Amino acid sequence: MVRLEDVSRIYQNGQSVVKALDRVSLSVSGGEFLSIAGPSGSGKTTMLNLIGCLDTFDEGELYINERPIGGMTNKERTAFRRRHLGFIFQSYNLIPVLTAYENVSFVLELLDMEEKRIKETTLHMLSEVGLAGLEGRRPAELSGGQQQRVAIARALVKEPSIVLADEPTANLDSKTGEEILTLMKTMNERRGTTFIFSTHDAMVMEYARRLVLLHDGRVVSDEQRGS
Amino acid sequence: MFLLRLAVKNLSRYTRRTIITAVAIAMGIAMYLAVDSMLLGAAEESERNLKWYETASLRVHTTAWWEDRLFLPLDEAIEEPQPILETIHALGYGAVSRTRFSAELILGWEEFGEDGYLPVEITAIGEDDGTVYRYGATLAEGRFFNAGEMDGIVLGSWLAEDIGATVGSSLIVSTRGKGGFFEAFDAQVVGLVNCPNPNVNRTLVMMDIQAADQYLGMKGAVTNIDILVPDREEVQSVQRTLSQALSSLDSSVIVLTWKDLAQDYLAIVSSKQGGSSLILFLIFIIAAVGISNTMLMAMYERGGEIAMMRAMGMEERRLWVSFLLEAALIGLLGSAIGMVLGALATLYMVEVGIDLSFMLRDLDMGFRIPSVMRGAWSLSSFIVAAVGGTVLSGMAAVIPVRRALKSPITTALVRL
Repeated sequence: MVRLEDVSRIYQNGQSVVKALDRVSLSVSGGEFLSIAGPSGSGKTTMLNLIGCLDTFDEGELYINERPIGGMTNKERTAFRRRHLGFIFQSYNLIPVLTAYENVSFVLELLDMEEKRIKETTLHMLSEVGLAGLEGRRPAELSGGQQQRVAIARALVKEPSIVLADEPTANLDSKTGEEILTLMKTMNERRGTTFIFSTHDAMVMEYARRLVLLHDGRVVSDEQRGS
Repeated sequence: MFLLRLAVKNLSRYTRRTIITAVAIAMGIAMYLAVDSMLLGAAEESERNLKWYETASLRVHTTAWWEDRLFLPLDEAIEEPQPILETIHALGYGAVSRTRFSAELILGWEEFGEDGYLPVEITAIGEDDGTVYRYGATLAEGRFFNAGEMDGIVLGSWLAEDIGATVGSSLIVSTRGKGGFFEAFDAQVVGLVNCPNPNVNRTLVMMDIQAADQYLGMKGAVTNIDILVPDREEVQSVQRTLSQALSSLDSSVIVLTWKDLAQDYLAIVSSKQGGSSLILFLIFIIAAVGISNTMLMAMYERGGEIAMMRAMGMEERRLWVSFLLEAALIGLLGSAIGMVLGALATLYMVEVGIDLSFMLRDLDMGFRIPSVMRGAWSLSSFIVAAVGGTVLSGMAAVIPVRRALKSPITTALVRL
């Protein structure tokens, strides 16, 4: 599903050169629930950005669904993200003037889906993440946990093959964070969607079935877990 | 549809900022419409008053007279006006002959309190002058001279006021007749004219054409034949018809339109229209700066959101449409308010107008309008203002949007 082959990402800031990812190789199968962990600056976000086709790499190759990403144009990467990838952000990043329903349905609007199907799919998705009855509320009228549920619904509604989440519980208290992780895991099991999320929180790592540890841009550990 | 909905909802996000920007655009548009209405009204009324009191619609001169027109040369007059008049009448147009000549009004101490003289241009008219001009209802005091009355003259009311003349005042007219001989004759002011054309009130001296013919030795010649063209007919087209008809009759004459005769006025109108365009340009600058600033702030504040939408796979094309729509909607809102305010201002200008009597009496603005300056409705100006305000507002968002879309998604996401 996702395969990184000797991928490097180098940032240059004036004279200083930082190798955010250094010849990383990793293979992720469909349906995995994988956490990328490591201290700040270890390259977690860079790796998620590369897998999310939001950034380009300098060396190696990245394959998603057997498609090489390196040679894609900006436009192709945008189209690829639209169709195959879902994102969950640390601070939810919902559009404040839209309701929960509209925040989720706009992803389907981008796919030019017909109105009736958009409605059915969105309402079903919101119900699945436990937000039935709250469709008409705007983000400001929802709690942090509820907002992140909207973000999860938004990521999953188009049935992407991969959902990428950058520190999805960092802005939540531990109880709500656990609820969100449980929900993500449920969705992973129910829908078979691959989840790749970054964290430096030990509690979050506990939820992962596979834990990849990064340090200074290199994979230092890759372990399968039982939970 | 979603993009339009999003644009409308985003407008409500910064209500105060949206309203301030829209009001700035509205004020500019209202100002443009008011000024445009005023200028248009003045231009329409000036054109009418020029034709009714100064130039008529068309005028026939000899080519030689037209070339030396600054000297009002009597030697270059139309020697045989009658066949020309008959031809014009036969084509169905009103026409009258007139003679214009330069003279001096010599003012005596007994009558005016001091000795002096005033260079003037005298227009000699016949009793049929009313078939082309509209002086009939403009008499403020006294009467018009009778046909053949040798010493009766009519003055513009402001001219009379300036020299201290009243009905019954006597003065001497000194001039040179056809061939260059000197002539002087006694004249008495028999009437004062006050018409809606300030230029006429300021300069008019009229006398009978038969009397002028005798004093100037014209022997039936006249300097010009003035023609009335009904409003429904196009002046240029009639000019062509008459030129053709008259060329076989007298090859020395030319037919001129009121525009040829009032080039000073047209130059003023043109420069004032330039002023109106400048206002429009300034309004567009205000709109562009306001919208650009509003959109720049919006882009900065919503950088994370934009990055999120791009991450979700929203094409740049849709983002462009979304933000340009948002900016255009601010412009549309401003234009709508501006048009309401502009319509109210125009209504006031049309119905009431602005009283400029305090300045028109002593200041020649070029417009041939009476003391109250009235506006006129112009649908095209409203359309230009609305479309211009909206489209330009949309265009003003181009730079902020381009800037936002140039920013890498990953950088913008960091700002979340």
